[in-house]
Amino acid sequence: MITVNTREQAYQAGMTVRDLLDRNQFTFRHIIVRVNGEYVPEEQYDKAPVRDGDDVLVLHLMAGG
Amino acid sequence: MKILVHKQELCTGCRACEVACSTAYFKTPDRNKSAIRIINNDNSFHARKCTQCGECIDMCTAHAIYRDKNGVVRIDKKLCVGCLGCVGYCSELVMFYDDDLTEPFKCIACNICVKACPENALEVLVSKAG
Amino acid sequence: MRQILKEYTYTPATIQRGYSGKSLYLNVSDLRMEEKVVTEFMKEKFIGGKGFDLWYLWQAVTPETRWDSPENEIVMSVGPLGGITQYSGTGKTLVCAISPMTGIPIDSNAGGYFGPLLKFSGWDALELQGKTEKELVIFIDGNKGLIQFCDAEGLPEDSHLLAEELTRNYAESEEDQVNVSVVSSGSAARNILYGMLNFSFYDPRRKVVRFKQAARGGLGTIMLDKGIKALVVRYKGIKGNTNNPADVATLNRIGVKYHKEMHDLDEKQNGMRKIGTANTILVMNQYDLLPTRNFQTGGDPAAVNISPKVFIEQYLTQGIHDGCWYGCTMSCAKTADHFRLLTGPYAGACVTVDGPEYECVAGLGSNLGIFDPRAILEENFYCDTYGVDLISFATTVAFIMECYQRGQISREQMGGLDLAFGNSDAVLELLHQMARGEGFGPIAGLGIRRLKKLFAEQFGSDPALLQDIGMENKGLEYSEYCHKESLAQQGGFALTNKGPQHDEAWLIFMDMVNNQIPTFEDKAYALYYYPMFRTWFGLCGLCKLPWNDIVPADNYKTETPAKVPEHVQNYVDIFNAVTGKSIDKEELILQSERVYQFQRVFNIRMGKGLREHDYAPYRSLGPVSSEEYLSRQELYDRQLREKQGLDPAAMSLDEKIATTRAYREQQFELLMDAVYKRRGWTENGVPKPEHLREIGMDLPMLLEVIEPHL
Repeated sequence: MITVNTREQAYQAGMTVRDLLDRNQFTFRHIIVRVNGEYVPEEQYDKAPVRDGDDVLVLHLMAGG
Repeated sequence: MKILVHKQELCTGCRACEVACSTAYFKTPDRNKSAIRIINNDNSFHARKCTQCGECIDMCTAHAIYRDKNGVVRIDKKLCVGCLGCVGYCSELVMFYDDDLTEPFKCIACNICVKACPENALEVLVSKAG
Repeated sequence: MRQILKEYTYTPATIQRGYSGKSLYLNVSDLRMEEKVVTEFMKEKFIGGKGFDLWYLWQAVTPETRWDSPENEIVMSVGPLGGITQYSGTGKTLVCAISPMTGIPIDSNAGGYFGPLLKFSGWDALELQGKTEKELVIFIDGNKGLIQFCDAEGLPEDSHLLAEELTRNYAESEEDQVNVSVVSSGSAARNILYGMLNFSFYDPRRKVVRFKQAARGGLGTIMLDKGIKALVVRYKGIKGNTNNPADVATLNRIGVKYHKEMHDLDEKQNGMRKIGTANTILVMNQYDLLPTRNFQTGGDPAAVNISPKVFIEQYLTQGIHDGCWYGCTMSCAKTADHFRLLTGPYAGACVTVDGPEYECVAGLGSNLGIFDPRAILEENFYCDTYGVDLISFATTVAFIMECYQRGQISREQMGGLDLAFGNSDAVLELLHQMARGEGFGPIAGLGIRRLKKLFAEQFGSDPALLQDIGMENKGLEYSEYCHKESLAQQGGFALTNKGPQHDEAWLIFMDMVNNQIPTFEDKAYALYYYPMFRTWFGLCGLCKLPWNDIVPADNYKTETPAKVPEHVQNYVDIFNAVTGKSIDKEELILQSERVYQFQRVFNIRMGKGLREHDYAPYRSLGPVSSEEYLSRQELYDRQLREKQGLDPAAMSLDEKIATTRAYREQQFELLMDAVYKRRGWTENGVPKPEHLREIGMDLPMLLEVIEPHL
């Protein structure tokens, strides 16, 4: 299990931040990703691993209109 | 097109160009009012001055920047509203402003600093392009 | 030149630290002009902009005043920061009046040059009162100190022609046209209740007059009802110090920093300079937020046809400045140039279409089931030139279309118009009917609240269904977000002062996607902080977009990235640099809250503003129909399991819909309780006297209004 934005989700072996974004259809460009509180820059999404039990925040920065 | 060229290998960093520029246009020997700025990097001197690229023309919020018949990018002070958008938008960081002035200013390749340079390190080149 | 019916001269006041210190009162009944002094009390408690508007409007009206009463006032003001050139988004005029849609004060803001030119002509605010049979153009020349009431005879009706002619007439030369701004409406505004106001600015690159709109709440309808065809202001001489700020160096420094941020980051972030606010169409579609077919669903695969890419590549002029006031490097006011019209009185003409903004593409596009970019631009153009608030129009037509889809009204009852989802020809014809005052046009122009009654009474429609699907609150139509999965945003729309417009709060991502505000207290805080913060733009003459449609590169490092702390500090610093005061970010919120609470009490004074007026139609809260439920069955079933501990497998569809509804309606009640508490209101939504005292707003005039409700 991992948590994404405080909601539980299934863990998948070998998954990266990119996999997690794809799975959740987080297509918005202007986001901040933190894994266990650590900021992950966009260049690292393809490689940065997400491990079982990780707490991931994907903050969508839009306060719109 | 006219463009001011700086020969780094000849420059001694005396800043006579800065004094000449600000004195000619703003009647004061104040570096902050000069359209050419000599930067000292470990005793190697390079000059920040307009490349006449014209990126600022289309973004000007008051339609006050234009290219004259000599290819020099100029600011029409009557139209300029002092928003300083061009200062923030200049990729070369060579559009200058000063809080005493109501408009930004830039190098217009006028030759005044060329004449003032004791080392002949400055030159205005005229090319046919543009 | 036009025939002058009455002329006044005045000595234009010098601007001191953002204020001229004078306001202009004009009465069109007797062509009277008065100068008023802007007091220190006004500046302290109301700041300017919307604050000044509401203050003057309160004095002008009584609880019995209706939108078409002669004493109803259109008040406009730009605020102390309005008209500075160094920072982006600093030319917003705030306009208030008692609205034909809601019966309470509406506030609407517009770009364009009118407000700044008005202030620099010596007027912090303009009040328009009275009514006249003989239609007028009012002209203010801020260089000469001249005010003229002129005969409007012979002028064109629609804004794109009217403003162009007036700009040419009142400019002293071709170059002088940039110094003229016109406020006008259009032919439809005479026949509908949600007529809007166009605020013009002359674009010297395209050589056309362009517009931004004070769109919401029927301001154009009111102006024409008063007999005012147009306002024209002329002022020449804008510089970075025309607003006479206390500290120009700070303005310059912060302005340059901000322009550099736009230059370096916009392309990586929202691409505002390329497409403007419509950059979010596909994002909204992907996150199930793009209102589609009257908010029934949150998107459609066909949305790719109206994506930013399509508009950028096929229609919108790229690469030149597009701000609606000087110094705006965000430059989001895009245009489709040389656009050939296919319908209506101007068919065949090549015009410049201002837009499309997000609300336009979502409202006139997906929410009407229209995914044709050309048709959307044509609707956009006609809404603008006819003086139609395209949000109220779009949401009203979406409602009519669903009524038609569900057999609640017939084609005959719509005068033969086939207003089926996706039929852009019928929508355009409806617009032309509004302009001509014929057929179904004026009926659709009543807005949803009146239509619900009319359809039920005259066409035998089911009032309960109409209540559920009619997306209005307080009489104003919702703006264009499918927000039913975000409880916080349900409040962000319904628990507003003027009605459901997203300019008070947009919390959908923060709430629904980021899950940052899970508890009622969290949501209530967000529905306190953001409406207060965003109110402040309207006090000062600012646009909200430069606050968070670009953020500093290191914004992610901050504790509260959604607030964009560095930009909040920019605003604090700019305010102090202009006014010479020394506020901090807490005082900024307090400045807003004083006006926000004043407006709430104003609503109560006008007979609304209580809990009963804050309820939302169920379409805003959850799935009304079985199709809606089924479209997101997995989500709704999971919520039944997780939130209510029920087994959806053991329930019929009708039971699931009913149970979901009961739950969601109860959640909304709990949200109201939490928000009211946080805002210092009673359970009935009335600001408490002790809270007003705490924020320095316990004015006797307010206490007198709330006293009977305590």
